Amino acid sequence: MTEASLVGTEFTSISVAEFFYRNRQMVGFGNPTQAVYSTIRELVENSLDACEDAKILPEINVIIRRESSDLLLIEVSDNGPGMPYQFVPEAFGKVLFGSKYGLRHKRGTFGLGVTMAVLYGQLTTNYPATIITKHGQGEANEFRLLVDIKNNTPIIEYSGPNSSHSIGTKVTLKIRGDLKRSKLRITEYLRLTSVSTPHAQITLLIDDNPPIQFGRYSKMIPTPPRISRPHPRSADIELLHHLISNNNSMTLKAFLVDTFQKCGTKTATRFLHFLSLNPNRTTESLTRDEIVRISNALRNYNGFDKPESQCLSPIGKDSLMEALNRLYPSASIKYEIRGPFEWNGHPTILEGAVVITDSTPAENPSLIRFANKVPLLYDASDDVLTLAMKRINWNRYGVDTNSQVLLFVNLCSTRIPYREAGKQSIAAIPAIQSEAELLFKTLGRAIKRESSSIRRSKRNARKMREFSKYFRLIARYGALLASVETTPDTSKLVESLFEVK
Amino acid sequence: MSKGTSIDALTRIGQDIVESIMAGRFPVFDIPDRRTGNIIFDTDEQEYVIGPTSVRRDSSNIRHVKSFAQLVWVASFAKELLKNNRTSSLRDLYYSSEAFDIEFADQAESDRIVGDLECLTGLPREEFGIFPEERSSIFGRVTMQYTVKGYEGKTVDLTISPDGLPIGPALMTAEPLDCKAELILAVESGGMFSRLIETRAWERFNAVLVQLGGQPPRATRRLIRRLHKTLDLPVYIFTDGDPWGMHIARVIMSGSANSAHIRELTVPTAKWMGVTADDIVSYSLPSEPMTNADLKRLDELKNDVRYNSSEWLHHINAFKDIRMKAEQQAFSRYGIDYVVDTYLADKLP
Repeated sequence: MTEASLVGTEFTSISVAEFFYRNRQMVGFGNPTQAVYSTIRELVENSLDACEDAKILPEINVIIRRESSDLLLIEVSDNGPGMPYQFVPEAFGKVLFGSKYGLRHKRGTFGLGVTMAVLYGQLTTNYPATIITKHGQGEANEFRLLVDIKNNTPIIEYSGPNSSHSIGTKVTLKIRGDLKRSKLRITEYLRLTSVSTPHAQITLLIDDNPPIQFGRYSKMIPTPPRISRPHPRSADIELLHHLISNNNSMTLKAFLVDTFQKCGTKTATRFLHFLSLNPNRTTESLTRDEIVRISNALRNYNGFDKPESQCLSPIGKDSLMEALNRLYPSASIKYEIRGPFEWNGHPTILEGAVVITDSTPAENPSLIRFANKVPLLYDASDDVLTLAMKRINWNRYGVDTNSQVLLFVNLCSTRIPYREAGKQSIAAIPAIQSEAELLFKTLGRAIKRESSSIRRSKRNARKMREFSKYFRLIARYGALLASVETTPDTSKLVESLFEVK
Repeated sequence: MSKGTSIDALTRIGQDIVESIMAGRFPVFDIPDRRTGNIIFDTDEQEYVIGPTSVRRDSSNIRHVKSFAQLVWVASFAKELLKNNRTSSLRDLYYSSEAFDIEFADQAESDRIVGDLECLTGLPREEFGIFPEERSSIFGRVTMQYTVKGYEGKTVDLTISPDGLPIGPALMTAEPLDCKAELILAVESGGMFSRLIETRAWERFNAVLVQLGGQPPRATRRLIRRLHKTLDLPVYIFTDGDPWGMHIARVIMSGSANSAHIRELTVPTAKWMGVTADDIVSYSLPSEPMTNADLKRLDELKNDVRYNSSEWLHHINAFKDIRMKAEQQAFSRYGIDYVVDTYLADKLP
């Protein structure tokens, strides 16, 4: 801003809620099409996370009703454990409130999305969000909420018991949006969600159309990831400040041992010795500069072990293969996994499956991205996975125009480095990109093996067809020669030769 | 060999196949091996015979199954021909195959399969009514009696047509009834054959004339042998004066590797009268230089067991010396009838 433009400008602070509303394109609410898609996505992901934590096979119903041309009623309900009632207003009516601050792999990480949906609905329709949830014993509770944008606090319009609601959480919103143009994205999103969460069953009901069901492909409930302490290498200045101010004052050494993983007393002593800091200094007494120094050292000191990966929850070979087998019944499918590796101290796993189908490819190979099991449908071009894929010479692996190759890749990490808060595209972190390239190469070799085995089995089938054709002729003309009426049956002999089961 | 025996042989092939399949086994054929390694020159008989090894054609082998099917079909085709008293040609058989879902890459392949059937049954394809398309002709004072259906007992005088009589299936199976000839003169070219008819050389030399037309079909060789055996006629062979002509004579005498599996084709006592290299010199025949192919052929023949005698080596060496060749027609230089009046008169007894 120039000085001239500052004249007469009234300086006011804005709340986080206001900031995000003003920059809503950053979080996926930039236009009426994306808004519908993002609303559904945030609600479905909340439901999936809730069920996963409680080890419940998720059953999620998504209802979209068009009340007028662009006024939509959206309702997402689940069979999850419900929410503790006292948290409901803040979870839905305050930006950046969320249960997802623990360091473990979760679908959402910003604590932003669902409130953005509420906010967007409120601002476009002036209707409050309705949340009905049943938690524990007793009656379900119902809330009608609005967001106080200026103060970033929930406004409770109504709260009270609801005796007709029997299970899980049901969220109802009204928003203005473009259903016609978002419909395809929504179905694609739910279809892919059923791939990355094969134990979920999702039903989509739009107006009076027949319901569309996605999943369930598997009854295996994944083990919920363990919550873990942050790895020292992930301690940027912000996190370190946060951790220090959230704890009571204690010695530096005790702070390191208590707060971080892979940092026992021995390692902490060695680390502080390396920094020439007194281990008995209290955290309170640290200066800003010292905190910066500690943060830098934590991120660069190579005496820490690799971060734990039990806090990660990849889709897993069995589940992913099962889902893909159901979706692509006649395709050949291979699974590969890389990691755990780390980027900036965040444990990370890359898993991928390659699906080779008979259909004619539009672009080959075709990449389908997931981040912590969430399908990413927008902004593919700058995504780290796309960049890595483009660096591979797929011709070398026999990817040609004869069969469609689909690459399903899930990046699984305690921190997904999204390029923006809309969570559609992963930033090009070198560690992730190089691991992704290695994953693609492994998948490429699988494609090569597979397509040569496909060719082989096609060749074998052709051989058997040829063989049985000639052998039938032998039987036919043999019978003619022998002047017998019936041609002997040849199928058993041919099958025995080709070991057909 | 009677028609019945041939049909039986074919029926047995079918029975073996059906029994084998019913018993859950893949049918196999053991066929005498016709590859060069198994073709032996029988010095006593002075002809090529097939050796003791055989090859197994196994219908369970993916590389064999196609030719196995082709062989069974050829057998069934032959059986149909026999049952209905029909004959066919190798070419006809090749083109008929399509209607029966049997594919041959070319006629060479179907000819080879017919050869396999001959080997398997030990019977020449003529027994199954399968003849080559090309036909030689015969002319001379012999009366033959037909045995083919519809013509049984009818006789034919082999001088009946001034063009000569084609040697087809009917004549093949006819029996010689009466013979006023004293020798058989087989000539390579159609032109010379006509000349000898027109000049009544057959009368003058008391000869049965046979037109070979290059390497003669097996039916012709068989008929020459039969007339030779049953009528006790000596056989003389008159070809062009080059290695190819010489070899036509040698095949009539000792057979070829290609039909080593077929008996009763050869006339070991037949005589090649020429045109020899010596003839080219002594008759001062108009000649042309040998090509590289001719010379190469001479070298091949030199290493051929059939030429392993002083007489034949002399012929080969004489050609190699003069490096010239001459056609039968070369005699025309001295007048159109010179070949009959002088050359044949000199050469024939």
